[in-house]
Amino acid sequence: MSRKTALTRKSLEAQALRKRNISSYLLTLPALLWLLVFFLIPYFIVLIYSFLTPGTYDVKFTFTLDAYRQIANGSYLRPFFLAFRLAFFTTVICLLLGFPVAYYIARAKDKLRNTLLILIIIPFWTNLIIRIFSWRIFLASEGVLNSVLLKLHLASQPLELLRTDLAVILVMVYVYLPYMILPLYSVLEKLDFTLLHAAMDLGANEARAFFSITLPLAVEGIFAGALLVFIPALGAYLIPQLVGNQQSLYVGQVITYKIKNIPRNWPMASAMSFTLLLLVALLLLVMYYLYRRRLRSRTY
Amino acid sequence: MLRMSQLKRTYQGLNLTLFTLVMVFLYIPIVILVIYSFNDAKIVTSWKGFTLNYYLRLWENDAIKEALRNTLLIAGLSTFISTVFGVLAALGLENKRFSGRKGLLALIYTPLVIPDILMGVSLALLFNFTRVNTGMLTVLIAHITFCVSYTIIVVQSRLEGFDYSLVEAAMDLGAKPAAIFMKIKFPLMLPGIVAAALLAFTLSIDDFIITFFTSGRGFDTLPIYVEGTIRRGAITTINSLSTLMIAFTLFLVVVTKRVRKTLISSL
Repeated sequence: MSRKTALTRKSLEAQALRKRNISSYLLTLPALLWLLVFFLIPYFIVLIYSFLTPGTYDVKFTFTLDAYRQIANGSYLRPFFLAFRLAFFTTVICLLLGFPVAYYIARAKDKLRNTLLILIIIPFWTNLIIRIFSWRIFLASEGVLNSVLLKLHLASQPLELLRTDLAVILVMVYVYLPYMILPLYSVLEKLDFTLLHAAMDLGANEARAFFSITLPLAVEGIFAGALLVFIPALGAYLIPQLVGNQQSLYVGQVITYKIKNIPRNWPMASAMSFTLLLLVALLLLVMYYLYRRRLRSRTY
Repeated sequence: MLRMSQLKRTYQGLNLTLFTLVMVFLYIPIVILVIYSFNDAKIVTSWKGFTLNYYLRLWENDAIKEALRNTLLIAGLSTFISTVFGVLAALGLENKRFSGRKGLLALIYTPLVIPDILMGVSLALLFNFTRVNTGMLTVLIAHITFCVSYTIIVVQSRLEGFDYSLVEAAMDLGAKPAAIFMKIKFPLMLPGIVAAALLAFTLSIDDFIITFFTSGRGFDTLPIYVEGTIRRGAITTINSLSTLMIAFTLFLVVVTKRVRKTLISSL
């Protein structure tokens, strides 16, 4: 082959590559622009607003650090603490309940498995707000559970179940359980059962087999599930608002009140939102680091 | 070997019990809603006899009908637009070598790992900052924004397993690029596109918080209307409305199963 044809071939390839790149840019451009304008830039506006002075209906464009000062001196510690506590308990309970369920589905026969999965998904597809509403009917002082308890003489007077922190956790677990079960299922389904057999043959007991084989292999699903439950739980608004009480306000509620209720305090809402965003980013970095370390340790 | 089967049985027994309990837990609220929607009582608590009254009242309620119209309009438009964006972007992302791909992927994945409420706040402030009146348009923009990442990812995952030997074979046989796309690529992408659209639709009709931040007064979607009604305490029609929404969900489950089956068999 002469040098000339080799060169033209090279430049032809480069040209084809450039053409492909241009079409890639054009195809991704709408989504890119959309996300830049309506996803990324709004966070810069949140950042700017967090340094402004609150007005009753709007903001005044004078710079201040007041909002961050109030967050730093701990005036708003409680809503953050409550949100993290809620996210933590929700994630742990979802994991404890979700693992056996995912395990059961993964071990079920092929035909049954799809039906079971659909059974998990149906509530998840049902409108969020009406599921929360039905828990109100269930838990209310004149609700279903209380009337059953009274009829069976298990309670002498209606119990205060609704508007408690416990009710918030219960409904959160209810709503987020499928988000835990589905990723757990997808790893457990691939679990090789002969490994468990081998471990038992070598004399490991049930607990040991579970902790040294099933659990480590399911860790990716646990990571994914925990992420899918913990992070949205941090920003919970609707569930605390509908089944919680006004004494324990979660960060999502405080942010919403500051945006919606008059007198408004948008700088405060912005500062809290930005703080929450940073905390989430930090959490994701830690998770990512742990995950990477695990992957590396596994290759040895 | 004996111990193994014993272990398996205890495992299965324990898991079956827990599974049943979780199922009861998942379905109790739904069953209660359905039963109480036929209850002839002003307050929802005790059973006073069967009635279809609240379904009739639902039909007469113009606010609900308008909220339903708004919900379907927003869901339809945002599904269509975000699915188009999703398909285009997924096709663009197929090229693994263009610069900026990683940054774009990060931008696509980030909305999924940030609490919804933050997107609501940031969009509310954007519309305030730019002095755009909140209403249908702002809600539509918001819905497209939270759907588009999902549609891109779903369509892209379908393209991931794409068998390029089919395209090569078609090219060898002299097919034109347009024909290759319409005859090979598009049909293979179709299940992914349908899945993406369904996901976007469900996300859109389900959303409360982001809509809450971006809709002005006078533009209610169904979730916003329901929340307002619960807050005002006028909840008699909500049971029947909820039951209809559950029926709709079940319908979607059945239909998508059909769709999936026909799609698979048509290929």
